[in-house]
Amino acid sequence: MTEAGFAVEALGVTKWFGETTALDQVDFRVGPGVVQGLLGPNGAGKTTLLSALFGLVLPDEGSVRLFGRTRAEAGPGWLDGVGGFVETPRFYPYLSGRRNLAVLAGLDGGDAADLVDAALDRVGLADAARRKVRGYSLGMRQRLGLAAAMIRRPRLLILDEPANGMDPAGIRDLRTALRHLARDGVSVVLSSHDMGQVEEICDCVTVLCRGRVAFAGGLEVMQAGAPDPVWLLDTSDDDAALERARQGGGVKAGRRDSGGLVVHAAQDRLDAYVLDLGRAGVAVRGLELDVTSLESLFFQLTGEPERGSPGEQSPLARPPRREREPAGQEVR
Amino acid sequence: MSLAAGRWPEFAGPAAGAGRRPGVLVVWRLEVAKLASLLRVRAIAILCMIVPFLAVAGLNLQSATPGDTPFGQWVHVSGLAIPMVILGFGAQWLLPVLTAVVAGDIFAAEDHFGTWKTILTRSRTRGQLFAGKFAAAVTFAVAAMVVLTTADLAAGLLAGRQPVVGLGGQLVPAGHATMLVIASWASQLLPVLGFTALAVLASVATRNPVAGVGIPVLIAWLLQIVTLINLPAWGQQALLSTPFLAWHGFWAQPAFYGPFREGLLTSAGWFAVCAAASWLVFARRTIGGAA
Repeated sequence: MTEAGFAVEALGVTKWFGETTALDQVDFRVGPGVVQGLLGPNGAGKTTLLSALFGLVLPDEGSVRLFGRTRAEAGPGWLDGVGGFVETPRFYPYLSGRRNLAVLAGLDGGDAADLVDAALDRVGLADAARRKVRGYSLGMRQRLGLAAAMIRRPRLLILDEPANGMDPAGIRDLRTALRHLARDGVSVVLSSHDMGQVEEICDCVTVLCRGRVAFAGGLEVMQAGAPDPVWLLDTSDDDAALERARQGGGVKAGRRDSGGLVVHAAQDRLDAYVLDLGRAGVAVRGLELDVTSLESLFFQLTGEPERGSPGEQSPLARPPRREREPAGQEVR
Repeated sequence: MSLAAGRWPEFAGPAAGAGRRPGVLVVWRLEVAKLASLLRVRAIAILCMIVPFLAVAGLNLQSATPGDTPFGQWVHVSGLAIPMVILGFGAQWLLPVLTAVVAGDIFAAEDHFGTWKTILTRSRTRGQLFAGKFAAAVTFAVAAMVVLTTADLAAGLLAGRQPVVGLGGQLVPAGHATMLVIASWASQLLPVLGFTALAVLASVATRNPVAGVGIPVLIAWLLQIVTLINLPAWGQQALLSTPFLAWHGFWAQPAFYGPFREGLLTSAGWFAVCAAASWLVFARRTIGGAA
């Protein structure tokens, strides 16, 4: 561990692929027992950063330390205690799930092979363990990926979109399992597009946009600075509902192209607004949360358009992508 | 099917890789086990075992003999001529195909299945993975040659154990001929290993299983054509196809072994250059994380 006790400490990490800057001076730290969310739109650099943590990609600038050691300092044991996957977990399709884990456990050495059956049981694949992986669904492969990570007895778990393809019950159980692991001292890096998932699991969040860090900090800090959530509202009289919104009460409303209204309001303000509509004789026929507060902030930070929202222009400028300097070294 | 949401106590404890660190031998063993589970590898093993017997049956059924192939005119006289006919007929193209099917695929298959990220995020170095996979490809080539040689010899002995007329016109007693058959087939291992390394290079460089298998086979055929060109002696010696013919000297009267020694050097050169190039390409490549 470093003095600060970080499981991951990436400082000033920059990576170019040809003329494209995939990562630009990225700082990324994960403390012990912390679930760290890594958010960003497609092409933000999440996968490149995770690949750099696994040593699959060598940064052109900056340093990556796992448990206080760079790869050069740690040698072949750099990934000891690190488990996880980048992108969708891939396995040998012509082998069974169990045989795949046995191969990986063989590469890990130690008593990893003894954990194969327990891991398959834990991820709910005991019944499918002898089936060839080519017949597995995406959700089953994600579970197998989690099992493959767990047989390494990780102190640092790096997961790239682990809930992809999982059923709702699986996603719920994954959240609980990750919280339990964090409570047991395992540091978790969770890359995701799903702000709601991050909100429920993570302690801290790093938002990447165009290869740069757009936000890094605790979830409560992020929530404190987040704009109001966005609601979709259907009423019996949209004109009257708009008029009531204009009269104040901390609610902003506008029309949707597809009909109905889009409303920006905190939960308590929305409750008051709905009660006010009722008193004014306007029936509420439908009310749906469209974008949560953190999703709104995410969209602002990354410059992504919000769905169906008249929206406010973000006060936070999207970080510009730095062009590669001509003298930069071609690495790929 | 549900994830266990509770605590995972059995997964606490020393991290994987923290204790004894298995090396190349473990990677080799796992690669060999993976190869053994592949349908095409099993099919090749079966074909290596039965094709010589089918060849014997086919030659016995026809009255004509393959007279334009060395030993062809003696196939109805002695069964020991049959393994040499098979060798003379197919060595230069069949054996490169045999080894390329595995060696040309062993690295590229990881690209095809997207599994490099899976195995490179375990407790193994690239060097260990490379050496283990390379050794597995060599193991397959050697095993295939042993099986093929054994089956050929068995099929020949089954057909008849009479003396054979050598390439110098001398009569070779059955016992000595048996040893020469084994030596001739064993001499093929040298260029086969050269083609194994060439196929590994194609597999690493192209990251494509079809190209990994196809390129060494294509090169084998091209070399056969080049052999027909009137190259200077050093040029002929440098071709990887030339050592396939070194066995001719074993059956001459008197026997000569110069081509075998030159073939040994040629094959070793191709093997070393292709293996080194494969490692350089593999060690330098970036895996994943493309923007």
